[in-house]
Amino acid sequence: MNVGEKERETVNLAGMLENGPACETKTLGNYLWDDLPDPNKWADCVHCGMCLEACPTYQETGEEQHSPRGRVYLIKAVAEGKLDINEAFAKPIFDCLDCRACETACPADVQVGGLIEEARGQIRQAMPLTGLKGAVSKTFLNGIFPNKKRMNRLAGFMRFYQNSGLQTVARKTGVLNVMPRHLKDMESILPEAGKPVLARYPEVVPAEGETKGRVGMLTGCVMDVMFSDVNEATIRVLNRNGYEVGLPKQQTCCGALHIHAGDRKTGKELAKQNIEAFKDYDKVIVNAAGCGCALQEYDELFRNDPEMLPLAKEFSEKVEDVSKFLYENDFERPKSEINTKVTYHDACHLAHGQGVRFEPRQLLKEIPGVELVELPDADRCCGSAGIYNLTHPEMAGKLLDRKIDDIPENVEMISMGNPGCMLQIAMGVQKHGRSEKVVHTVQLLDWAYEKDKEQGLS
Amino acid sequence: MRKLMDIVGESEVLYKREDLIAYECDGYTMYKGMPRAVVFVQSTQQVSEVVKCLNKEEVPYIARGAGTGLSGGATPLGGEVIISMVKMKRMLHLDLENRKAVVEPGFINLKLTQSISDKGYYYAPDPSSQYACTIGGNVAENSGGAHCLKYGVTTNHILGLEIVLPSGEIVEIGKEGIPDQPGYDLLGLLTGSEGTLGIVTKVTVKVLKNPEGKKTVLAYFDEIDDASQAVSDIIAAGIIPAALEMMDDVAIEGVESAAYPVGHPRDIAAFLLIEVDGIVAGIDDQIEEILTVCKQNNVREVKVAKNEAERALWWANRKMGFGAMGAISPDYLVQDGVIPRTRLPEVLAKIKEIGKKYNLRIANIFHAGDGNLHPLILYDASVPGESERAAKAGSECLKVCADAGGSITGEHGVGIEKAAEMRFIFTDEEIAAQTNIREVFNPKDLLNPGKLFPQPGRCVEVKRAGQNEMQPVP
Repeated sequence: MNVGEKERETVNLAGMLENGPACETKTLGNYLWDDLPDPNKWADCVHCGMCLEACPTYQETGEEQHSPRGRVYLIKAVAEGKLDINEAFAKPIFDCLDCRACETACPADVQVGGLIEEARGQIRQAMPLTGLKGAVSKTFLNGIFPNKKRMNRLAGFMRFYQNSGLQTVARKTGVLNVMPRHLKDMESILPEAGKPVLARYPEVVPAEGETKGRVGMLTGCVMDVMFSDVNEATIRVLNRNGYEVGLPKQQTCCGALHIHAGDRKTGKELAKQNIEAFKDYDKVIVNAAGCGCALQEYDELFRNDPEMLPLAKEFSEKVEDVSKFLYENDFERPKSEINTKVTYHDACHLAHGQGVRFEPRQLLKEIPGVELVELPDADRCCGSAGIYNLTHPEMAGKLLDRKIDDIPENVEMISMGNPGCMLQIAMGVQKHGRSEKVVHTVQLLDWAYEKDKEQGLS
Repeated sequence: MRKLMDIVGESEVLYKREDLIAYECDGYTMYKGMPRAVVFVQSTQQVSEVVKCLNKEEVPYIARGAGTGLSGGATPLGGEVIISMVKMKRMLHLDLENRKAVVEPGFINLKLTQSISDKGYYYAPDPSSQYACTIGGNVAENSGGAHCLKYGVTTNHILGLEIVLPSGEIVEIGKEGIPDQPGYDLLGLLTGSEGTLGIVTKVTVKVLKNPEGKKTVLAYFDEIDDASQAVSDIIAAGIIPAALEMMDDVAIEGVESAAYPVGHPRDIAAFLLIEVDGIVAGIDDQIEEILTVCKQNNVREVKVAKNEAERALWWANRKMGFGAMGAISPDYLVQDGVIPRTRLPEVLAKIKEIGKKYNLRIANIFHAGDGNLHPLILYDASVPGESERAAKAGSECLKVCADAGGSITGEHGVGIEKAAEMRFIFTDEEIAAQTNIREVFNPKDLLNPGKLFPQPGRCVEVKRAGQNEMQPVP
């Protein structure tokens, strides 16, 4: 379907607007900026409302403009010239978790997440962030995540903060009390920062035993700093299954957080770098659901760029979540028992974004001694949603409380496939005075393999 | 506005244009109108106070649930205050021994079944929008669903209502949920009144024990006439299936392109989805008989669902059918005519002709067993003139149904959409008799004005307004 094409026209607005769009820029209603949203995406929506109850923000607010169909309606209204891009439009669009639960519920496969990201791209160009919000956002999104050295330094700082006793001092002196509540909560669960894998490991980590194949691996930013042990476990598990793991040094942040925040320009720059970094690999393995989903959608990102589009498409098809990859390639079943009760939380960008639900559960079930207890509404967002828990602490907090309330009483571990969820749920576990251990699915498999080794079973 | 905020709290009133625009229509998108404000109520008392306030100021108002309705029942004509019931979503009481539940109107239809299924019970009316629609909205529209052939529509499952009248008075009908109370059947009158007589604030519903057994059949036909004949023959054989659904070739194209493809052959004319439930003994006999009837009617292929997963997929494919049309068309208008089952082949042929006449594709997904048709007229609102053509084609479909001895709506309601078409089945006197009843409850016509009945001189205006994109806020 190519509706809406006729609404487009070339308008010279450069003379009319200060810092306006380039002369050649096409416009669509009140979308005046580069990289226009895709009218075909909202043309698929017939306003049936099947998405309403799937949406965490609609469940909480009951407000139509905070529902997927409502947001799509607003996005369309701007294209029709019925609404302007302003704060009141930006709020529902930025309050979206981008969790994609609506896409699972939608009978017509409307790509709501993609539309939200495209609309945010327009909003951020029309209304650049200023003041403290802008500064903080710039520091993290542009200054730190995409910059390996700074990321490493951040990791170093965190290690220093935690090891030097500064953390103890900070906690004891009450310095933390001046921080907003949600930042304080977050500080309290910061995992012990490890050393990023990307800096320490060789560019190629050979397989254990006979080499079945070679794969590239995205190490991620948050994952590599906060959960370098998960990266280590992932590499060991892949090696153990006969895969040589490539860690190309020039790989960078996946750009998901930038794209979610409407900074598509930086998102594209990062995407280009990753496409280049992994060009020699046929398979790119990711252990962070959010990153995996972003990489798989590079083709969406370059929708309006005919030069990059074929490269992005080719790249996106190479990307696979580690749990799916292992399951589909007949992973080696561990023999040792890990006697534990585990529940599994579906990361949004794994379940809704990539359709991966069955494989990680199956991995867990096939580890001897692991009893999987289903989590009710396992695929409802935990509130982490990239940096949503920092930008929208109130909504994120409500969703976290619901998530923790749902966790079955008698489990010892909560397994999942995304670092953002791991941080958020760990925070919830602590806040609610519970004791479950938060783990990555691959870690459980890794522990079973380690036990095999100890017992000489491998 | 201030007075409303005083009643419900400042955060519970929406009034900015950007926040209101998402409320300018419900599941029926052909007509749009801006509300003046949206008010979220959380208790019967608040509803009563809000209604009293609006009544005093003579501001028109509408109760709205999830907004999944298909006839514009919750769509403003322009300037009404929307009272949103979605935050009144608690279950107040569950009495399985007496097989009833009391819920607030914003309770989601499917959640009711989900919350009692582990105890072996369910709530029977199952509109396809049940994932999102509210019980309050179901009461207003007297909603049906695929399984209403055997179990009846919403009105057959309502035991009691608490409503706020347009005067603000709170009344209870059907106390204690005892069925068949003496006196006039007010429950029957209110159920399906499309929010024109009062605002429902509490609903007592019947819950049923899960059937002991259940089997589902899928039958592919090369000719619509054969499929239609099979429908009549199954009922004539004395079988009352729990559901008997039909989908034609255009509809199959839609659902197969969307989220839940089953792998239906693309070159068939139609399929029937037939479900039988009840006591386990006897189900197999009924299935045998259905298979025989299908074979007698030249079925190409007929199969019984192998397991629950297959059955669930067939149903998801069917229930997501309307929304799935988005995959093959930017907009659709769904009609809801009812006809005697025996006239199916003839009416379906006429609908096909209407499609040709207006150069629009029409998909049919419907409750064949009830003779409740759902022609989905596919159009593109951004093509000038196409909305008008679709509206005319829809109206003609209803005329065909009415002329075949049927009705213009089975379960979606009249709303804005079919108000003018009420004249196909009612005389002026009959309409006046009904509006007289409305006046008893809603004398100033402030509650959901302009819906359900053609208003003298207004119906034309409404139809015309439908072509315009939006009404200014007065």
